[in-house]
Amino acid sequence: MSANDPIDLKQDRRQWLKTSATVLGASLIPLPPATAEIAQADARRGKIAAQMGEAKVAGRFFTPAQHIMVEELSETIIPADSHSGGAKAAKVADYIDQVLRESADGSQRSLWLEGLRLIDVMSQHSHGKNFVDSSSEERIALLTVLSDHDHLTELPEVRFFKELKHLTVTGYYTSKIGIHDELEYKGNRVLQEYVGCDDQGPASK
Amino acid sequence: MADPEVNLTKNYDAVIIGSGAAGGMAAHVLTSHGLQVLLLEAGKKLPIEQELRSMEWPYDNAQRGALPPNSHSLSFNEYTIRNPPYGAGFEKAKKLYSYIGDTDYVKNIVVDERENPFSGTNYAWVRARCLGGKTNIWGRLALRLSDYDFKAKDRDGYGENWPISYSDIAPYYDKVDLYLGITGVKENLPYLPDSIFQRPTKLNCAELTLKQSLQKMGRVVTQYRAGVTSDGLKHNKYRSRCYGRGACERKGGCDIHAAFDSPTGLIYPAMDTGNLTLRTNSTVREITVDSNTGKASGVHFTDSQTMKDYHVKAKVVVVAASTLESARLLLLSKSHLYPNGIGNSSGHVGHNFCEHVMGPGVAGRAKDLVGKPPTLDDGRPGGFYLTRFRNLAEKHPKFIRGYGFEGGSGSTMFPRGADVHGFGASFKEEVRRNQGAYIGMGAFGEVLSRYENYVDLDPVVKDKWGVPALRFHYKFGENEHRMAEDMKETAQEMFEAAGFEIMHVSDRVLTEGWSIHELGTARMGNDPKISVLNQFEQSHDVKNLFVVDGSAFVNASCQNPTWTIMSLCWRSCDYLADELKKGNL
Repeated sequence: MSANDPIDLKQDRRQWLKTSATVLGASLIPLPPATAEIAQADARRGKIAAQMGEAKVAGRFFTPAQHIMVEELSETIIPADSHSGGAKAAKVADYIDQVLRESADGSQRSLWLEGLRLIDVMSQHSHGKNFVDSSSEERIALLTVLSDHDHLTELPEVRFFKELKHLTVTGYYTSKIGIHDELEYKGNRVLQEYVGCDDQGPASK
Repeated sequence: MADPEVNLTKNYDAVIIGSGAAGGMAAHVLTSHGLQVLLLEAGKKLPIEQELRSMEWPYDNAQRGALPPNSHSLSFNEYTIRNPPYGAGFEKAKKLYSYIGDTDYVKNIVVDERENPFSGTNYAWVRARCLGGKTNIWGRLALRLSDYDFKAKDRDGYGENWPISYSDIAPYYDKVDLYLGITGVKENLPYLPDSIFQRPTKLNCAELTLKQSLQKMGRVVTQYRAGVTSDGLKHNKYRSRCYGRGACERKGGCDIHAAFDSPTGLIYPAMDTGNLTLRTNSTVREITVDSNTGKASGVHFTDSQTMKDYHVKAKVVVVAASTLESARLLLLSKSHLYPNGIGNSSGHVGHNFCEHVMGPGVAGRAKDLVGKPPTLDDGRPGGFYLTRFRNLAEKHPKFIRGYGFEGGSGSTMFPRGADVHGFGASFKEEVRRNQGAYIGMGAFGEVLSRYENYVDLDPVVKDKWGVPALRFHYKFGENEHRMAEDMKETAQEMFEAAGFEIMHVSDRVLTEGWSIHELGTARMGNDPKISVLNQFEQSHDVKNLFVVDGSAFVNASCQNPTWTIMSLCWRSCDYLADELKKGNL
């Protein structure tokens, strides 16, 4: 679950980048001037919003752009493979939207919004483009940095990654695709007999 | 509004307070003796099948089975950092539940913590105020106690012996087995007597590996002894036999009632005798006393919904409100004759409070099962029970008494391995390939009965109905913590011996109360100075007052209490009916 302490949204971004670069290694450097970086990010956000004909959609937590980003993030956590569909096919982003809309508290919602923003900041630093515009190798490389440092829970991006993984896993393995296609779950139906282990011999002594 | 069918002007032979395992059993036994019985339950009668919906798929549930928005159930962390009465810090939650109330299927069965506050030390107090109480959602492990428990003082000098021996209760265990149904396998263990078992479930492959490897260490793994009818019960039209639907592993109850619950197993059949009157929404606040005779005269109760007060008369009062609620009621029933509460001349009511300590355990993987085709592993009421092995033949240097492990293995609807590190294609494949290979177990150990572990009434805090709340003075002691260390070590050692790849070992002791096995607050004994009840769960002080639930226990044993609660209750109610007919009450 989400960390109990609220995220400090006022945390100086430049300071954040310094801290993160120190603990996460070289992946986040070089560090641009803070004001320029903020302006860039804001410009990008405005651009995405404009492209998507944006603003809030009634009854949704995520904007359309955020929704696409969550779809891609969750698919990176649990991708489609030759065995079954992934998080996108299982509509995990819809599930996450619902949880955040209906059940989440303010700090959890803030973590998601801040986390999505930080993912793009990281993506810009590492690959010069937003997360959704990057290749699947680039996406994996980015999340690997967070997954490999998932003990550094003082960092909001790490807390976000843990929350992203938790809700993706919960949403996926409670979906039709997750239960039936992926895990091929055999229960929740009437049985003649519980089979048990083949080597066991007669059930009763 | 009072149920118009309930005649409150009648002088009932017996009034029973509480409709869980003990109250249901008392109703069954007393009505079968022809007594006219009134059963009062503080909560409501829920449309239980609609609550449990045990075959609902997660994706067909609005919250995938989680609690609805604006509801919250307390976590281990919250129990640790918050103090009772729980509520502060959860202002946004409209409903606040104990830890067990964390699914959509259990939420209406457990109480709202804010309506039912208590104070004092931290306690994960799980209460189910509804017809059937906690039997609607119990874990179903149905074990007998033995003279290793009843005469534990003779073995290690600690505490008190029970005023009964195994031979006194054995015929009643048999009656409970046959009337309610139990699955399991005979093992001929002196410390864990066999029941009269119906067809057992089978172990799966990892469980069998554990069983076989522990045989070499002289330790016993046996099929989960479940209070579940696997062959059906011809005498009970309300219950189906178990037909292994899964997902029994999901927290919740059995809506075909193959697993025992008090309403279908005991109360409805008792109502069919014509001798039982049931009134739900009836919160008993006081046992009243006839000042001329000193005997109990009946009870005062409040309608839980209308808040109107009522009094009903009875020749015998049978308290079965659950260990802590029963103690509370005795303490609440103060009068000139009984200034410390009825039945409390010993001062022991609320004391000697004991239970099971849990938390330490182990999870691992059976490597030979990785990548095998999916199997069905949870179409059965339980996995395995690893029986007590400490302080039987040898004496452990660091602690007295014992513990056992409950465990299970194999595929579940939500995969056990979904918390492994990583993400992406390899994570997904790992979860899939490992899903059937997981095996885990957790320990339940005896918490010593201590006079200084007790509950009393809070002078200030009251519940929604204006009834003084309980105040806890209760902590695990040194023996429990030393035992918990051993639990962790032996859990790891046994999984290593079985060749499992160990994924996680826990030495974390869960909050007091977590086992939901609270016991001992009105213990039995032969000496009225240090016990509350005699061997028939009859008050030493007030002959027509019986307390027939877990509060009568003298120690907690390490074996789950429900089957013993019901067997003792059956024995006591046979005695009660006999004494009443003889005019001795």
